[in-house]
Amino acid sequence: MSAVSPIVQFHHVSKAYRLGLTRTSLPGLARQFAGRVLRGRATAAPRTLWALEDVSFDLHRGESLALIGPNGAGKSTILKLLSHITWPTRGDIHVDGRLCALLELGAGFHPDLTGRDNIFLNGTILGLSRAHVAQRFDEIVDFSGLEAFIDTPLKRYSSGMQVRLGFAVAACVEPDILLVDEVLAVGDASFRQRCLQRIAALRRQGTSVIFVSHNLYMVQAVCTRGIYLQAGRVRRAGGTAEAIGAYELDLHAERARRFDDGDEPSAAAAEAPPGLEEPAVDITQVTVHGPAGDEVLVSDQPARIRLHYTAYRDLDAINLAVFIRRDDGVACSMIRSKLDNFRVRLPRGQGRITLDLSPLQLVTGSYFAEVEVTDEADTMVIKQDKARSEWFLVRGRTRSYDPAFAAVFEPFARWSGPEPAGLEP
Amino acid sequence: MTSTPSLAASVAGLVRSRDLLWTWTLRTLRARYQQSILGWLWAVVQPVAQVLIFALIFTKVVPVDTGGVPYVLFAYVALTPWAFLSTALTDMSTAIVDNMLLVTKIYFPREVLPLAAMLARFMDFVVASALVVLLVIYFRVPVRPSALLLLPVVVAVQAALIVGLGLAAAAANTFLRDVKPLLALVVQLWFYLSPIIYPLDKVPAAWRTLYSLNPAVGVIETYRAIWFGTPLPVASLAIAAVVAAASLVAGYALFKRSELVFSDIA
Repeated sequence: MSAVSPIVQFHHVSKAYRLGLTRTSLPGLARQFAGRVLRGRATAAPRTLWALEDVSFDLHRGESLALIGPNGAGKSTILKLLSHITWPTRGDIHVDGRLCALLELGAGFHPDLTGRDNIFLNGTILGLSRAHVAQRFDEIVDFSGLEAFIDTPLKRYSSGMQVRLGFAVAACVEPDILLVDEVLAVGDASFRQRCLQRIAALRRQGTSVIFVSHNLYMVQAVCTRGIYLQAGRVRRAGGTAEAIGAYELDLHAERARRFDDGDEPSAAAAEAPPGLEEPAVDITQVTVHGPAGDEVLVSDQPARIRLHYTAYRDLDAINLAVFIRRDDGVACSMIRSKLDNFRVRLPRGQGRITLDLSPLQLVTGSYFAEVEVTDEADTMVIKQDKARSEWFLVRGRTRSYDPAFAAVFEPFARWSGPEPAGLEP
Repeated sequence: MTSTPSLAASVAGLVRSRDLLWTWTLRTLRARYQQSILGWLWAVVQPVAQVLIFALIFTKVVPVDTGGVPYVLFAYVALTPWAFLSTALTDMSTAIVDNMLLVTKIYFPREVLPLAAMLARFMDFVVASALVVLLVIYFRVPVRPSALLLLPVVVAVQAALIVGLGLAAAAANTFLRDVKPLLALVVQLWFYLSPIIYPLDKVPAAWRTLYSLNPAVGVIETYRAIWFGTPLPVASLAIAAVVAAASLVAGYALFKRSELVFSDIA
């Protein structure tokens, strides 16, 4: 193998699982037979599930590749195939180098054995020799911070201590190719940070990394390339940003669809108080666009909201309120004509009102705009039907749907400094 | 490469995993005797208790002629290797199924799990065999030191037989859980079809040839020959060696072939 040939070759790989294929017991078969004879019931034929279909990629030395996509996309199947836990139905996999798969921390830990015994157990399962574990034993114990408990049975450890011990062992693995599942990314922020630091250190030494995570923020921090998988197929492969971008678009569409299928918070709108006359206006359409008419908005770019209306007579005693709602229904922005001293005067007929937000300043996510028509004092909703825009996607500086990194507002930010101490405030 | 690895490559992989094999054996032993007062002494208690009850039956109730060897020694010499065989086979058959969580999470040569189960039982066998030495000294049995050279040979034959059958059982039990109870039944019947609690010469001469096809006959009779100075059962030991070698190769090949789908059928 020359130095330039890929360290991992994954060529046209497919993996099928057979579903519904249960080996029935003899009594079960008798019951089935009786059922068929008595009621003419047919038994379900086994189905084949293609966990992966014709997936190909190469990985070169020192590269780091992210596998992203929803649950069931085939990400974990790829890791299992690469680590020989399972075998492909079709296709070729070639791995040229020492591969270590961290799909679980503390694999093989036994609760009755001491921390010391479990370090050797876990280390040898990860492919280390006993001599190697012995040589780095003090380092492992140090790193775990569990010196005082090292001869205590593991069952007396808290789950956090067990994770720390597992990670300390995993950290002394130095493979050519590291497969990391997102299970490693559980735990608190400082633990995540140590994982990322460890992976970064290995990358500096030339280790190639394949990283599976739902956490797009971590993916972006760790990886240079990305593959977005959906239902066992490659939807997009390229740079990390490109793959994440494609995934976000689909996530957005999916969330919008789910939201629309469920209960909308706006549907529980306050009814117009009795006796109040419905205003003679319909908001016929609400659109949200970027400066060049683009449908995907960018946080630090302007956004334009247009309210198309039909007025059945001249109106000048109403106000408009525009809400921008997130996919969980939370109103992220509220813009009111009354507060902005904009007098809504609609001549009879059709027309449109334009609302410019410059810039938008929202974090990455899916949103829609909702319009309320209120009375002259802007205290009561007087139009029962609220108008809504289509869903729109905002791209911010953050690229994450992970709640741990979620925020609403993305202000203009400019960093400066450092400046010497003792200056005027 | 997605084809089945060759047997040679499999053995090489196993050799690379020898540290894991040893660690997993230790884990099995430590976990078994943790929080236990008798601990590893249980390895002796089990065959001793059996010998005592059989000695009661075959010396007082239905006396059996054992050719001048005290019945306790006669039975214990055969019962310890038999205990090794039966406990090792039982443990090996469930070694994969019991560790399915591990098998679906990380790769290592899967035969490490049943082999470690076997090795842990082998340690029990070594401990139990220490009592054979004590009994031999106590009863002043004149053992020829040269005969002891055969001990590694018969142990190897027995181990090969156990490994072959155990690996096959471990693989089969992964697909069909019937294997475990079936194996228990087979081992129970096999016990009575082997010259453990009765001497070989009690078997009718007409059945002797057929009876000696049982590989346990050669193994057990060789142990007796070593300790009691009876003639070496060359023919039945040869049969046992052939059966053991065949079972080792076939069992390992079967195991490595089915290993590929273990994690898929979990």
